[in-house]
Amino acid sequence: MSFIASGRTQTITDIEAEMALSDVPPSRPGAARVPGRKRFEPFTVVSYICVGIFGLFCLVPLWMIVAGSFTDESVLAANGYSIWPAPFSLAAYQLLFTGQSLVNGYIASLFITIVGTALSLSCTASLAWVIARRLPRISRPLTIFAYIPMLFTGGLVPLYLLVTQVLNLSNDWFSVILPIMLAPFLIFVAVSFFRQLPEEILDSARIDGAGELRIFFQIVIPLSKPILAVLGLFYAVTYWNEWFMALLFISDPDKFPLQLILQNLISNVTNAATLPGASASQAAAPVYQIRFAMTVMTIAPILFGYPFAQRFFVKGLTLGATKG
Amino acid sequence: MPVLRPTRTARRRRPTSRGTLGLLLLATPGIVWFLVFAYGPMAGLVVAFKDFKVSEGIFGSPWNGLQNFAYFFSSGDAPRIVINTIFLNALFLVASLAAGLLLALMLNEIQGRFTRRFGQSIIFFPYFVSPVVISIILQAVLAGVGGRGGMVNNLLNVFDLPNVNWYTTPGAWPWILTVVKVWQLGGYTSVIFLAAITSIPEDVYEAAALDGASKARMALSVTTPLLLPTLGILIVLGVGRIFFGDFATIYAIVGDNGTLFPTTDVIDTYVFRSLRTVGDFGTTAAIGLFQSIVGFVFVSAAVLVQRRVDKESSIL
Repeated sequence: MSFIASGRTQTITDIEAEMALSDVPPSRPGAARVPGRKRFEPFTVVSYICVGIFGLFCLVPLWMIVAGSFTDESVLAANGYSIWPAPFSLAAYQLLFTGQSLVNGYIASLFITIVGTALSLSCTASLAWVIARRLPRISRPLTIFAYIPMLFTGGLVPLYLLVTQVLNLSNDWFSVILPIMLAPFLIFVAVSFFRQLPEEILDSARIDGAGELRIFFQIVIPLSKPILAVLGLFYAVTYWNEWFMALLFISDPDKFPLQLILQNLISNVTNAATLPGASASQAAAPVYQIRFAMTVMTIAPILFGYPFAQRFFVKGLTLGATKG
Repeated sequence: MPVLRPTRTARRRRPTSRGTLGLLLLATPGIVWFLVFAYGPMAGLVVAFKDFKVSEGIFGSPWNGLQNFAYFFSSGDAPRIVINTIFLNALFLVASLAAGLLLALMLNEIQGRFTRRFGQSIIFFPYFVSPVVISIILQAVLAGVGGRGGMVNNLLNVFDLPNVNWYTTPGAWPWILTVVKVWQLGGYTSVIFLAAITSIPEDVYEAAALDGASKARMALSVTTPLLLPTLGILIVLGVGRIFFGDFATIYAIVGDNGTLFPTTDVIDTYVFRSLRTVGDFGTTAAIGLFQSIVGFVFVSAAVLVQRRVDKESSIL
């Protein structure tokens, strides 16, 4: 222990001496720690192990679902699910792809996600810009106007009555989109980004005679691509994962989004498993395998998109955490 | 570089009346949405004071004073769901913050940008898994396939412990849900903490190293105290939301399994169930209003505390 400590002391004094000699200000203090950082201390080892275990804890359940979806139903029922799909089987996927419900589900989920994200993004950006623009007598009241719903909500019942009785949107995909279309928190994330845009660029556009709308569409939007990507991804994931609004407002099975189909599959299989009489008729179809396959199809877009998008999520979260 | 701004610039930034009109036009869709979907339901809360009948509409139904509230508070469900909501949320908050803090401290030890980012991405992923998928995974882990034991029970068998039928054991569910929450939010929270860690100046660690501190000592005595402001804000925000259960996750997992209600029924699931099964809009709206008011008190208190502690990050 004392050796390590003295070793580090040595390193740091060396670097300090070097800096004193070269008379260069320590531009990157991080570099000074590199020699000390190379050593593996007990805590570092423990950290690697713990993070590794938590990583497995995050991934293994998902992998089990993927493996289960490729495992033959008979084995699945006899042994439970395994790490590796032993008798490899595509039966569930074949059934899913020949049936109509997966296609319908994808159409519904894609519609909700694409149309919803487009609406959310355009409304969020334009409202946030008007707030960020600091207009006298407009921006501040608008801030309060958008802030109050973060403190107080009407709750479920009035919303339900609004959508079903007043707007008559039952069984319409817009009943899933509209209630969750704007997130006040994300509006304020956008506001704080817009306020950091260099005022000089906007000024030069104004000198050239650009109007307010032209400035927004031709200067602010192109400059804000990073934040728009972040907001768009957050909105898109929210729409893709949304099932509660669908549960409330959509009762026509042909219009179910994927999450709701999956939800129904849970209760159906549970019913099938608990009712002994039902098992005879269910025996032909690989119910568990289908359920896993459907789960895989539901998270597939997120699973495939995540490696490319994750840096945006981390960035957006950091932005929200520090600026929110 | 500081630029001296002449007053002419300031005048130019103020838009012409035509420009203001354009900007208002830009804000209109958002304003309309807020009026309809945020403020409309608030006005709709009058239903809580009415004997609501669908045929007569919101404004045609007769008033009945506080009867809806009296009905809810005398039903005997009120204490149970209020206690459940607060207890479960407190449990989730403590567990996910503790897990996030520990993970951030440990991720910070991982060397190499790529490895660290990779680890971070993996533990962040569960945040994007939908409640329904979580429910399916949980069923497979706890109840297995086709009535087989499932992963947890197999593990119990290894230690010669008897199988547990989890879906009929209400006592275990606060802890099961907590594990689910840690799975879902541990990585998410750690990303927030890691962002705070990167803003800690390096010379603090150099000083600690000079004094012979080990990595563990640095994490405990340098990083953790410096993360306390972030932790404080996250606690305040969490306490502010304590009266709003995470409806989607709990309902997706528990559903209408009445055996588990004693320990898992929170205000949101209760409201949703009574809306769907009983269809009593008045009473349900009354519970919702009760939740909104108590929630408002919590959130406002949290915002006030947060603004006092940390002026920079407040919105208004």
